Amino acid sequence: MVEKLKSASELMHLRKRIITNRDPNKSVVTICIGTGCTALGARKVVEVLGEEIKTKNLKERVEVKQTGCLGFCELGPRVIIYPEGISYFKVKPEDIPEIVSKTIIKKDVVKRLLYVDHATGESVRKLEDVPFYKDQLRLLLEKNAKIDPKNVEDYIALGGYDALAKTLFEMTPEQVVEVVKKSNLRGRGGGGFLTGRKWETTRNAPGESKYVIANCDEGDPGAFMDRSIVEGNPHSVIEGLMIGAYAIRAHEGFIYVREEYPLAVENVNIALKQAQEYGLLGENILGSGFNFTIRVHRGAGAFVSGESSALISAIEGTVGEPKPKYVHAAIKGLWGKPTCLNNVKTWAYVPLIILKGADWFRSIGTKNSSGTAIFSLVGKVNNTGLVEVPMGITLRSLIYKIGGGIKDGKKFKAVQTGGPSGGFIPEQYLDTPVDFDELSKVGSMMGSGGMIVMDEDTCIVDVTRYYADFLSDESCGKCVPCREGLKQIVGILNRICAGSGREEDLKTLYDLSELLRDASLCALGSTAANPVTTSSLYFRDEYEEHIRKKRCPSKVCRDLIAYYIRPESCQACMICLRNCAVKAISGEKSIVHVIDQEKCVKCGMCIEVCPFDAIEILSPAVPPTASYGIKVALTKRRK
Amino acid sequence: MKCSRGRKKPFFVGLRMTKEERSILDKIEEKVGLSKSESLLKGLEILSEYYSLGLDQPPLSFELRRLEEEAIQHAEALKRIRRREDALKEIIHELRVIDQIVDRYNEDKNALIQILIDIQNRFNWISKTAVIWISERLEIPTSFIYQIATFYKFFTLTPRGRHLVRVCLGTACHVRGGPKVMEAVERTLSVKHGDVTSDGMFSLERVNCLGCCALGPVMVVDGDYHGNLKPADVGKVLSKYS
Amino acid sequence: MKNFFSLAIDGKEVKAEKGTTILEVARANKIDIPTLCYNENMNPYGGCRICMVEITKGGRRKLVTSCAYPAEEGLEVVTNNERIRKVRGMLLELLLPLADTGPIRELAEKYGVTKSRFEAKPTDCILCGLCVRYCAEVKKANAVCFTGRGTNRDISPMPEIAPDICPLCQECNSLCPGGRIVELTQDRHLLSIPISKRKTMR
Repeated sequence: MVEKLKSASELMHLRKRIITNRDPNKSVVTICIGTGCTALGARKVVEVLGEEIKTKNLKERVEVKQTGCLGFCELGPRVIIYPEGISYFKVKPEDIPEIVSKTIIKKDVVKRLLYVDHATGESVRKLEDVPFYKDQLRLLLEKNAKIDPKNVEDYIALGGYDALAKTLFEMTPEQVVEVVKKSNLRGRGGGGFLTGRKWETTRNAPGESKYVIANCDEGDPGAFMDRSIVEGNPHSVIEGLMIGAYAIRAHEGFIYVREEYPLAVENVNIALKQAQEYGLLGENILGSGFNFTIRVHRGAGAFVSGESSALISAIEGTVGEPKPKYVHAAIKGLWGKPTCLNNVKTWAYVPLIILKGADWFRSIGTKNSSGTAIFSLVGKVNNTGLVEVPMGITLRSLIYKIGGGIKDGKKFKAVQTGGPSGGFIPEQYLDTPVDFDELSKVGSMMGSGGMIVMDEDTCIVDVTRYYADFLSDESCGKCVPCREGLKQIVGILNRICAGSGREEDLKTLYDLSELLRDASLCALGSTAANPVTTSSLYFRDEYEEHIRKKRCPSKVCRDLIAYYIRPESCQACMICLRNCAVKAISGEKSIVHVIDQEKCVKCGMCIEVCPFDAIEILSPAVPPTASYGIKVALTKRRK
Repeated sequence: MKCSRGRKKPFFVGLRMTKEERSILDKIEEKVGLSKSESLLKGLEILSEYYSLGLDQPPLSFELRRLEEEAIQHAEALKRIRRREDALKEIIHELRVIDQIVDRYNEDKNALIQILIDIQNRFNWISKTAVIWISERLEIPTSFIYQIATFYKFFTLTPRGRHLVRVCLGTACHVRGGPKVMEAVERTLSVKHGDVTSDGMFSLERVNCLGCCALGPVMVVDGDYHGNLKPADVGKVLSKYS
Repeated sequence: MKNFFSLAIDGKEVKAEKGTTILEVARANKIDIPTLCYNENMNPYGGCRICMVEITKGGRRKLVTSCAYPAEEGLEVVTNNERIRKVRGMLLELLLPLADTGPIRELAEKYGVTKSRFEAKPTDCILCGLCVRYCAEVKKANAVCFTGRGTNRDISPMPEIAPDICPLCQECNSLCPGGRIVELTQDRHLLSIPISKRKTMR
């Protein structure tokens, strides 16, 4: 049983105690068990490591810490050994004995597990030197490597809850609001609204009961920043929420986590329990007399519920549908009371701003967008994962420097920012600096930070259709423009991708987009048009090819492509024949194989398994007429 | 078919009671102090005891009959044909568990969604009986609960398969070939997404982003995540669960 | 008179009471704004978007639903212009394929929408929610509710339970603009008749 902390100095003493009790020479092995690394087998690595330490009697010398996500999930499982800071990637359970004997005991490196810089060919020892991390400024994410989210003492040891102590004992609520206003912090949920102003409005709204809410309903497909923060460092959000509550004079808070993030739900509940035990939450926090409680509300599978008025409805126990927002939530929100709703990233910045000051925060980023932004850089780049960079970095730097350029040396086509509410940004705008306003200028938006990179093999019409379909699926269906309009947009795009596009389709799409933009009830509808508008603006030629020539230039749209085995390259090895799930390939040894176009479902399996690169995709779907019974021209050239 | 025109909301929605039946339950509540829900549960228990003793004609003749029918339908929906007393025992057990869950949230109406999440996790579906019971305990109209249960993707009104397979079709996964993985799963299990396999073993669902975008395409089976999937891997991954 | 203030609708100055919406003020002053999902006995829903008007506030112009937007001092409201006509026309073009009946057809003709580019799918229901909201807010019976979401959104009673709850008042009949709710032929719940087995159009 821990003693509840009753003053700022008790917190300081506890921190000193924790640090002195930790042997600086003891090896600390941190392994990420976030959802991503777990999917790659990290838990088994932890298990094997535990056993190895036990059998080699190293319990006194080695501590194992299970930490949260650092964002470079593709190279997981990730193991970092402190104090040296040696970082290993793609660690398998079989590698553990070597890591223990070589690195932990002999302080030597296991070369094959180090990251290799593609440009120089050299191995990199430390995390900070990995090109993916070098240009980042991980204000929010860096602690994820060093803390076990299930242990509040790790967070305290690194300075956690100091900001709260400073707020409660050295600042008035008005001063807190002033600092946040001065820092120019803008909402990271996508709206980019000035946080300080929102706090001020909520604080000044009439009424005794006020609420604060942290939004972790990250529904943007392709984004997982909020997951990493709530999974890996839940206390940063809790602390931020408390500071905000103090400033606004709220005594109850909610953290809304979607149920698709079970680990985040688990970790935030554990964190709340521990904070309560240590006197950092609940009644008389740190002996200051300030009371504040937090409840967790789980989402149940609705992207639209991430919209602020919908989220509030969901917490009230009703259907998570947006309401007309003619009176702001800051004045009349949860149960009609003033409510301040912010994204978890926004809350997580608050403790840092309190400790380091508004001017420090303003010094990072651009004039109108201060601080860092976390992007989920995914898609066809070499290095995919979460990146935290100062605002103002160009898209080109993000994609080529940090992202390592386009995968497999292909050509860049477009980058999509802001999730399904954002737009496609083509090559000519790659030098756009990333910040709230600049991205809006080119027709997209910052959104919650998703950044999907597409190459020459991505069909823009297909991706637009994907987004329209996603939004139509997630729409609440209350208002006509979104429910019926999006349905028709999906219908039109489906037809275009199936080869039945009509000339007037582009005009109809335009009319529907305008309706969505002007008449939708909420931002899901009004921004749903963005992918359609930007794609028809920057990639009109792709639409025209689909409609007029029934051709998909990227060879993706199923009804516009045909798989064809080139008779001159086929070696009749029978591998594709055996692997075809629908038995569409005919042929035998030394007789060229032929695909029956009627049966072919274009699953791509044959291309994957063909050792001779003999199968190609044609578009339009007009392959040469098949000739059966041709004898093979053997060349024995494998790919 | 009688209806509640002009009357107060019927005490147990879904049951139609005569005046005498209602007054019997009123007397029980007065004399014994049990709430109406409790009396019904007790009645069901007695009925199941009767059957297990091999007695065919229980003296209790009224609404318990209807609940008995419900219980049997319920068991059939779960693809389990049972003896009558077992069907009753099962429904009693389910109702008691729901009671526990509701009590854990202090009968708070606002916690409806959280209660439904716990029930879905526990029983793998939201049965009609569950809706009726929650409506009774929380005093929320059944149509309201029905609306919530159909609005959110997480809830199913038919039993889910023993194993839940969710394939991510978020943008990153889509761009990396997610749809082909989904098709491979559909082919392997002979089921379309949104459905349950005919043997009740697997439910296949599409998810819009699990947050593992750097590892796309991703599939979760019963909480086990599988990343970097290719259509060819699907058979191997799923065979572990049969 | 405190709590009264003035605003301008279509250039005409009108007086409004605090707590009223633009639509209420307009109707009190005989200014016509079309609606489909609005009914004065229920809370505004904001689903059909037909009642949208353009307001100018603080130098910025935007479209809002007049049924929900609170009247404010000094507001400039335009109930019909090029932009609004385009929006209403588009909305009706989307609704006509669903229900080509009385109120919808009338409005369509008024806004010059004679046919729709979209394929007809006569469900007789535009999901305006009048029946649901009436049953919930006025009758307090909650016999019918919205189910599903997005394109799957529908109205339905909870199967097998509604017969016990529906007060059979038949008052939702006259509210339905699309024709989905029809006269009861017998003691049966209104929506229990599947669409395919019913005759459409009144």
